[in-house]
Amino acid sequence: MSNGLNKILLSTFAAVIAALWALPFIYSVWTAFHDEKYSANFQWDAPWTIANFLEAWQAAPFSVYFFNTLILITIILIANLILCTLVAYAFVRYKFRWAGFLFALIMVQLLISPEILIVENYLTLSRVGLTDTIIGIALPYLTSAFGIFLLRQTFLTVPKSLDEAAQIEGAGAWRVLWNIYVPLAWPIYLAYSLVSISFHWNNFLWPLIVTNSPEVRPLTVGLSVFATVDSGVEWSLVNAATLMTTAPLIIAFIIFQRQFVANFMRAGIK
Amino acid sequence: MKFRNSHAITFGIAGLMGVSSTALSAADLEFYFPVGVNAPAVATIQELTDEWAAMNPQHTVKAVYAGNYEETTTKALTAANAGQPPQVAVLLSIDLFTLIEEDVILPISDIANSDADKEWIAGFYPGFMKDAQFEGKTYAIPFQRSTPVFYYNKDAFREAGLDPEAPPASWDEMIEAGKALTVKDDNGNVTRWGTRIPTLGLGGAWLFGGLVVSKGDVLTTETGTEARIDTPATVASLEFLLELAKQEVMAPGGITWGDTPKAFLEGQTASMWTSTGNLAFIEENAEFDWGVGFLPGGDGPGAPIGGGNFYIFQETTDEEREAAMDFIRFMTSPESAARWSIATGYVAPRPDTWETPAMKAYTERLPQALVALDQLAYAEREFATFQRAKVTQYLVDAIESAVTGNAEPAAALAEAQKGADKVLGEYQ
Repeated sequence: MSNGLNKILLSTFAAVIAALWALPFIYSVWTAFHDEKYSANFQWDAPWTIANFLEAWQAAPFSVYFFNTLILITIILIANLILCTLVAYAFVRYKFRWAGFLFALIMVQLLISPEILIVENYLTLSRVGLTDTIIGIALPYLTSAFGIFLLRQTFLTVPKSLDEAAQIEGAGAWRVLWNIYVPLAWPIYLAYSLVSISFHWNNFLWPLIVTNSPEVRPLTVGLSVFATVDSGVEWSLVNAATLMTTAPLIIAFIIFQRQFVANFMRAGIK
Repeated sequence: MKFRNSHAITFGIAGLMGVSSTALSAADLEFYFPVGVNAPAVATIQELTDEWAAMNPQHTVKAVYAGNYEETTTKALTAANAGQPPQVAVLLSIDLFTLIEEDVILPISDIANSDADKEWIAGFYPGFMKDAQFEGKTYAIPFQRSTPVFYYNKDAFREAGLDPEAPPASWDEMIEAGKALTVKDDNGNVTRWGTRIPTLGLGGAWLFGGLVVSKGDVLTTETGTEARIDTPATVASLEFLLELAKQEVMAPGGITWGDTPKAFLEGQTASMWTSTGNLAFIEENAEFDWGVGFLPGGDGPGAPIGGGNFYIFQETTDEEREAAMDFIRFMTSPESAARWSIATGYVAPRPDTWETPAMKAYTERLPQALVALDQLAYAEREFATFQRAKVTQYLVDAIESAVTGNAEPAAALAEAQKGADKVLGEYQ
């Protein structure tokens, strides 16, 4: 009896929280599909329109920007997965001089915010002539201290006996990594990829500073054209542009929702 | 022997390069620009840049959109520190002292020093040149300059029995008119406020500068080392803002910059104090009769000037400097400046621009655009010092803490003054 009541209370509570959380998103969808004059003036029967999307699409070369963002996150993700895996594997499996110190050094990197390094990174890139290229945007992010840390911690939980058994069966270091460690860390890989993709999808200041040509700039730079503080913000246009640029992420999340949530629960990332 | 050979080659190459560059006098320019107004501004800048490039086929120019003002300055300084600055950029007028301290810009009066050049520089409105000069040298050329004006809803004025052609001119008139304009519903809740002056953030500090000017003082001087945050004029200005809320003319608490035009368009306020950069936006979206007037003042009219100027960077060749000057001349020429001003609402920086047929037709259609020009005679430089970001923050914090009721005006300003003096002490 009281159990049933609890259940009802709990689900009502959850529904209220969910509705509160969803309100800003619903607002942005609603304004994106309506004329500017309804953006702070709700009317049920306001006419629907896609004019905002058309206008937003034309305000910047978004098709090029989409393509650039896709290339950028592909490069970063692949490089991250390979490099972080190898580094983490080395830390877990091999005993070598300074291992503890090196790992501490990598951890220190987590404390440094990337913005501080912008000038130094720009200097390095301009010396090697990679400013204004997609590789240039990706270069400082090709490996990640967070990724190394995450994978190292996961690899540590793999039972030593599994590793030893594989070695007795004659598996080499590569084979052990590929057949034992990687499959066991699969949820972590998925979770990490999601975090990494959404971070780089949204990264703005560094790509803006290091690039000059529309041909290599990512989506966020196109989006910033709408942040026009001097002349009052047009929410319908801003929201249309924002929805448009985040749509691939949202759609991907809806499709893979079950896996993502399950993996996050297992990986314990918040 | 070997040594001499290699030198000969170096000289040879240097000679060749010198000859080829002077013969063609070609320059590749990079031009960073920020955008603070609605999106078509990017297209207008690109068109103007392309036209200059078409007229000067020996040069190339690349217009680089660099985000908002702050991001553009960050980008330009980063590139300059790495030895790859843009040749020319539009940056905030108040960043002058930062750019001088970083030693990255070139005094334009050093390279444009013929009599014709001097005459050209003298042709800009003096109000806009105030914050382009430092220690007798001109460092910048005005381009996208704005100033706040008083926008008011004429229909609301008629409804309240006020003369729609006579907006309030003084603070007392503002309070009187505001009382008449404020509308309450049956429950005593305000449905329309009399006026709206943004008080939060940098926008709030900008408008505050105008209040201070109207009381006959300034917040900063041309030295860049003096902040006058705690003066009788600033205390009176801050008290005026509180009085508006107390008399129920303006909503109490902090007021944001970005939502102000929307509140005006929605009829939540009968008037607002905001930038001329909103003219095009209001013209397009207002569904009522609206007018523009001078900002109501304490002892007389007064307004701040803001916006961006052209700067030329130090690490440039003579050819690049010459080309950059030519580019700036083109961008501020009457025809270009008229197009830019009409597209954005920025105040055209030279009298000759206002004489062009395009501009005449524009002011005929939208006479409100002329108000800012007339007000210019009473306008003063925006808050600018060395270490601007840090020093301005003291002022912003003081205004915010007073309007939100967390501090007394005089005490808050005195404390801000102390903080500012500490930062500026090492520059004096």
